[in-house]
Amino acid sequence: MFLTRSEYDRGVNTFSPEGRLFQVEYAIEAIKLGSTTVGIRTPEGVVLGVEKRVQSPLLEASSIEKIMEIDTHLGCAMSGLTADARTMVDHARVTSQNHAFTFDERIKVESVTQAVCDLALRFGESVHDEDAMMSRPFGVALLIGGVDELGPQLYHTDPSGTFVRYDAKAIGSGSEAAQSELQDKWHSQMTLREAQVLVLRVLKQVMEEKLDQHNVQLAQVTTDKGFHILDERALKEVIDTM
Amino acid sequence: MPDMSAIANPQQRQFNPYAENGGTILAVAGADFTVIAGDTRQSEGYSIQTRYASKVFRLTDRAVLAVNGFAADGNMFVKKVKQRLEWYRHNHAKDMPLRSIARLIQTMLYAQRFFPYYVYNILGGIEEDGTGAVYSFDPVGSYEREACRAAGAAQSLLQPFLDNQIYFKNQTAARGYSHPAHLPLPDVLSIVIDSFTSATERHIEVGDGLEMYIVMAKGQTLPDAVTNLLPEELPSTGDGERVFVLKRDLKKD
Amino acid sequence: MNALLSKFSATDADSEIRTAMDLAEEDGLTDAMWGSQAGFGQLVQGHAFNIPAVPNPTAFLRLHTDDHADPNCKIKIQHGTTTLAFRFQGGVIVAVDSRATAGSYIASGTVKKVIEINPYLLGTMAGGAADCQYWETYLGIQCRLHELRNRERISVAAASKYLSNLVYSYKGMGLSMGTMICGWDKTGPTIFYVDSDGSRLKGDLFSVGSGSTFAYGVLDQGYRWDLTDEEAQELGRRSIYAAGHRDAFSGNTCNLYHVKEDGWRFIGNYDITKMHYDGPGAVPGSLGSGYGYDVRTDNRFSVLPKPVSA
Repeated sequence: MFLTRSEYDRGVNTFSPEGRLFQVEYAIEAIKLGSTTVGIRTPEGVVLGVEKRVQSPLLEASSIEKIMEIDTHLGCAMSGLTADARTMVDHARVTSQNHAFTFDERIKVESVTQAVCDLALRFGESVHDEDAMMSRPFGVALLIGGVDELGPQLYHTDPSGTFVRYDAKAIGSGSEAAQSELQDKWHSQMTLREAQVLVLRVLKQVMEEKLDQHNVQLAQVTTDKGFHILDERALKEVIDTM
Repeated sequence: MPDMSAIANPQQRQFNPYAENGGTILAVAGADFTVIAGDTRQSEGYSIQTRYASKVFRLTDRAVLAVNGFAADGNMFVKKVKQRLEWYRHNHAKDMPLRSIARLIQTMLYAQRFFPYYVYNILGGIEEDGTGAVYSFDPVGSYEREACRAAGAAQSLLQPFLDNQIYFKNQTAARGYSHPAHLPLPDVLSIVIDSFTSATERHIEVGDGLEMYIVMAKGQTLPDAVTNLLPEELPSTGDGERVFVLKRDLKKD
Repeated sequence: MNALLSKFSATDADSEIRTAMDLAEEDGLTDAMWGSQAGFGQLVQGHAFNIPAVPNPTAFLRLHTDDHADPNCKIKIQHGTTTLAFRFQGGVIVAVDSRATAGSYIASGTVKKVIEINPYLLGTMAGGAADCQYWETYLGIQCRLHELRNRERISVAAASKYLSNLVYSYKGMGLSMGTMICGWDKTGPTIFYVDSDGSRLKGDLFSVGSGSTFAYGVLDQGYRWDLTDEEAQELGRRSIYAAGHRDAFSGNTCNLYHVKEDGWRFIGNYDITKMHYDGPGAVPGSLGSGYGYDVRTDNRFSVLPKPVSA
């Protein structure tokens, strides 16, 4: 009877007869429009890289913020509706600080990812006196990289609130090509420098513009130095070694 | 004729939800072990309610909590700490480290800042780096890591003795010698046993039984001198820290 | 409905508490304590404190906890202190004693009364030990969140104001803290005095606690803006020694910190008895002799005359 999509894609929490939540699926589609974002895990740490779409020469590239610090040992890169990510990153930051307050230790990478995914599912109509919440699914996917007692880890989260751990993962518009490139090139004993170069190579392949230090951003989370975004000079140095 | 005085005179009532149930607890940290002990007498005023009520509880394979003060609050508090430890295990897929338990206990005590638990807590166990540790708390959650601490009825009898015997306070080492930073387990156990027998002699609220929990760091075995005392080993989950219990009688008068 | 009425009908401390009580669930266990908020719901929505179900919770608390006035009540909260901090050319010196008393019993001689809020901020502890420890640790995570959200470190003024507003919201409920928030920010070395009554004062020199008058005596005498680092550290030690010597509620050891542009540094822990007889040891700024005046009076005590040699 109701076989067309349009019947079941209006309510954010209404299943279709085939058991699908269309709004969540559309949100996942939104990420495929986003800029390409790559993350690689190595034994030394996690490297995160994003493409910045500098649409105009008048645009200040440094104001595009797609990699954010969650805590000293945690960072995250995003693709999709980046405005939505701000809410999620702030939730991750608060969760991480609350954990530090209550347990006097750094939160595990998986735990903070779980907290973000819990938030991702908190959409729909709010019940009487509850605080206003998100009325639709978040249109953003995150790569959360961090270091804890289990070593460097990389997690991928999507609007359905699912999270999976990866050795190397690409999201965004160029993700298909990027992911197969990562599959070819990633190996378990990569150095951090090799990972930085691989991230840039993968981004270079899928980017329309010529890659330079202004239209990509690179960050890393290492065991000894924690989260850190590479400044333009350090970035240029890596680009030159490519 | 009914007694009208009760109506004629104003009466004041107070809400007093607290009692003092006596007893004493004590913990000493060694280099790679910790001993946490408590007597088992529970009293109210001059009446002994029971001769066996535990004040020392194992929380995890590497953490033991001793509670003293108002027994009802203490038992409830231990129950809630255990509940939080279980939630933590479900949420983070590991046992809570000792320093985290210490901080958690602070936040739990402080949540009752305006209706305090009348409980003095001493937490003992093994830190992540394998060292023995003791944390002591006031009823509303201020805490500090120490090497030894006594609390409860006989606190003021025991703490000066421990200061002298464990920290070597006011003791001058013989020429050419220095005081050890940590005592070996058999020495600590005899100091603990002597502490409680002495407190039993001079404090009416201390006595009946003594329970000593020994937490051994990963890979450490009990010295023969302690094995000969026949401690009971509590079941532990793996090849990490181990917890033993030694029970002794104290005088029952 | 009752809760709603009382919420808007009065503004005194008691009704504030009632409001808090209505918000907190009966056993203090809310959904927020576990599950999807991983046990931090109560922090996200503000601290949920359990309140006794009596007409006047503040009076209840005063009855059962000792706030100096009544040493007989059951729950002893640690009290008694000397803390000081001063600003000078080379940064901020923070010095404190380490004694905690419960009535006349010395509950601890090894208390850390300097709370390391973060690598750039220090807080001192006077009054309720738990109040200071808990709220200054909490201030630490709020400062970190400020740093993450604004991409720059919080100023000492902002941090101290956060704490001040926070404790003011509990005014009249029995919190007890007198603290100095010390740090170095864009404006240079800074000290703010914050207490649980709601005071927040910016200044160059403060001392807080039962021994503060003794500390001030030494501090005011020796203070100059152009003290060298060594002189300033010695002045901090000497002032805490004076308080430890004359105030029965202060003593045991002195903890000394120095805040400079790149953050704070722990200078050392000094035994007050040792300082009396031998001085602080071979440290920069030390005179090399004990602070006690007996070394300067050649043992001529009126109460203990020198034995007459035969």
